[in-house]
Order: sequence, then C-alpha cells, then structure tokens
Amino acid sequence: MYEELKDQGLEIVAVAQDTAGEEAAGPFYDAAKATFTTLIDRQHLVSSLYDMVNVPTGVMIDEEGRVVRYDEGTYTRTYQAGNLSFGTDEYVPILRDWVAKGAASEYVFTPEQMAERLPERDPAELEADAHFRMATYLFERGEREAAEVHWSEAQRLHPESWNYHRQDWSFTPAEAGANWVRKFQSLEGKPYYAPLEKPAEAPPE
Amino acid sequence: MKIQTRPEPAPILALAGSMLLTLNASVPARSAQSAQSAQSIGSTAVTVLYLDRAETVERTLPDPTDLWIPEIELTRVNGFTLKPEGACLEDLCIPVSTEGADPILSSSGDETWFSLTAFARKLDQAFVTARGGERNLWSFSPIPVTQAPFFDRAMAPDFELPDRDGDPVRLSELRGSKVLLLTWASW
Repeated sequence: MYEELKDQGLEIVAVAQDTAGEEAAGPFYDAAKATFTTLIDRQHLVSSLYDMVNVPTGVMIDEEGRVVRYDEGTYTRTYQAGNLSFGTDEYVPILRDWVAKGAASEYVFTPEQMAERLPERDPAELEADAHFRMATYLFERGEREAAEVHWSEAQRLHPESWNYHRQDWSFTPAEAGANWVRKFQSLEGKPYYAPLEKPAEAPPE
Repeated sequence: MKIQTRPEPAPILALAGSMLLTLNASVPARSAQSAQSAQSIGSTAVTVLYLDRAETVERTLPDPTDLWIPEIELTRVNGFTLKPEGACLEDLCIPVSTEGADPILSSSGDETWFSLTAFARKLDQAFVTARGGERNLWSFSPIPVTQAPFFDRAMAPDFELPDRDGDPVRLSELRGSKVLLLTWASW
C-alpha cells in the first residue's frame, strides 16, 4: 500500500514506542520489509508530545505541518481475539481519500475542528509523563526496581494510558496477555480507541 | 564565597534590574537559604530528563527542594536561552528574575543560576525526582505553553528521533509532503 500512496506524495513515518529499542522493534520492521521511514522512540517521546495513550495509532499531517486527523487506531482490519474484537477496516479508505484529495477530502478536519478534538492535559497527566520518563531512563540504566516505582506512579496518575501499562507489562511477558484482557474487559463498553469519525463535519462556510 | 542576593549589573539581568524599581526589595527566602550553605556551591551533579534529553549537570546549588543549575547550562538542558527579555525558546519568552516569592534566577559571584523547578512551577510543568545514594535524577514533563501551537492550532509537534541505524530524522524535514505518522510497539 505504501508504494502506491508514496507515488501520490505520502510519506509514512513509523515510530516504535519501545523502551527496549531496536532489539525489540527491529524484528518487526524486518518482518514487514518496511521501506518507509522507521524510527525508534525509547522514551515514548511521540506519544508524549502528541498526548496519545495507545498504539497503533495514526496522525495525518498535511504539507504545511498541520494535523488533519489525529490519534486513530490504524488497523487495516477488524481483529477477533476470543470474544473480544478490536480494530477497524475503515481507516485505510479514509487515508486513501485524503492522499488523493488533500484538503478537499471530506475526512479532513480544519485546524479549528482539530483543536476542539485535541485533549486537555491535566496536571496529573503531566506528572505521569514525568514519572514515565524517569522510568524509561532508569530502565535503560538497568535499574528495573527503581523504574517499576515510577511506572506504577505513571499508571496510577494516568490510568487511561494503555501505553504506560503495556510497556510495563512487556517486562513480565508471562502475565502481559492476561493483564491486557483484564483491563480490556474492564472498559465495560468504553472504547479501546475513540470511534472513527467519518466523514468530518462539513467545513464552515 | 558568598551568594549575593542582588544581581550584579550584567546585561542578562536587565529585566530583573528594572523590576527592582517596582517590587519590594525584600530578600528572597531561597537566596537566603542558599547563602547558608555557600561553601559547597556547585558540588552536586544531577541528571535532568526532559523530553528525550538526558543531560548531566556537574554543578548545582545546594538546595534540598529546588534545582539550581548554572545559567550557561540552560540551553543544553531544555533548549531555552537567557535573553534580556527572559528565558526564550524560538518566539516564546518567559520573563524570569531574581525577585519575587519564587525567584527563577539567583546570582552568586560571577555566576547566574537558574532554578529549573521555579521555572517549572511558573509554567505548570510537572517534575519528579529520584534521589538517594549515587542517584540524583530530576525528570520534567513537557512544558504546556510550548505545546500551544499543537493544542490550539493543530500544528504537528516536531521531533527528532534515530532511525534503525541511529541516524537522526526530523519530522519537519518532510514538510511539503503529506505524512502519516504511525506509532506502534512490539509489546
């Protein structure tokens, strides 16, 4: 798909939110035979700057550097895991439409519409961010116990962040799957991702 | 060595100097506290975490609650530069001075010190510490005001990250193209 959309002027930048770095992310890039830009983000800098709490997620950025769609689950299809289902097959058509039509795409949000949709950051989330950053640093230095203290604090202060939980669980792989299912089920109808909005509201006259 | 609670007349403190005319010239509590332990100035190395930066600062002022770094280290730590109009990052300038209840600048001999923690409080930036033994870490959250272009006008926050070979790639290098920014993870 990338080869086709690249010819129409799309660049894909994939950023691995992996504290374990190339060691963890590299094999996936290899398996995907990725020809697009592939980056490693040990500190989850992009999730922090864009205030995003889950992966995989996509942000569409236009030629002027403006965000036109934000923080959407970039699955290519719906996945079924037991009685749980997640993902959507609706994202790719939206992406294709935007690449073909640009600002004229009915799926594109204006800066004003985007600003309304961007989250407000509260003080607890910012403190969680500082704890998470501390945890990734300590982890990189091999200080796992000290890192765990700050990972736990980040999760407590910002429980909506799937990234904080899942990065932490990844270091105890035996329990990670069960942890995920438990938290997923605890959503009780709340979306794992916000549902896709489509089309975008008509731009103001 | 003695900490002076009043700045030397240096260009960098022009703003603070002018503010003296209107502010009560009482001695800031912070400076008085620092003065008591002036013998060990600059003795404690710390590591400051901010965004993807992790910078070690060799000398800090002794202070049990706040982090004072030499002003010349500021840019390395968080990208801001001290100018006459304040601490500046591109078009953004935050007024800073040696005065007030929670001063951001302090002067000691020939040196100006910058309180990253007072600066954080002024800007609603969160910070946490991990200290004890050899460890002296200060981790700072993003600064809300620096994120205004994103939250108010949907401008994509720029960043630079290494590719798989370790070569830096900056998002803004792709201006002029549509970009699909994908975050994902192995876990």
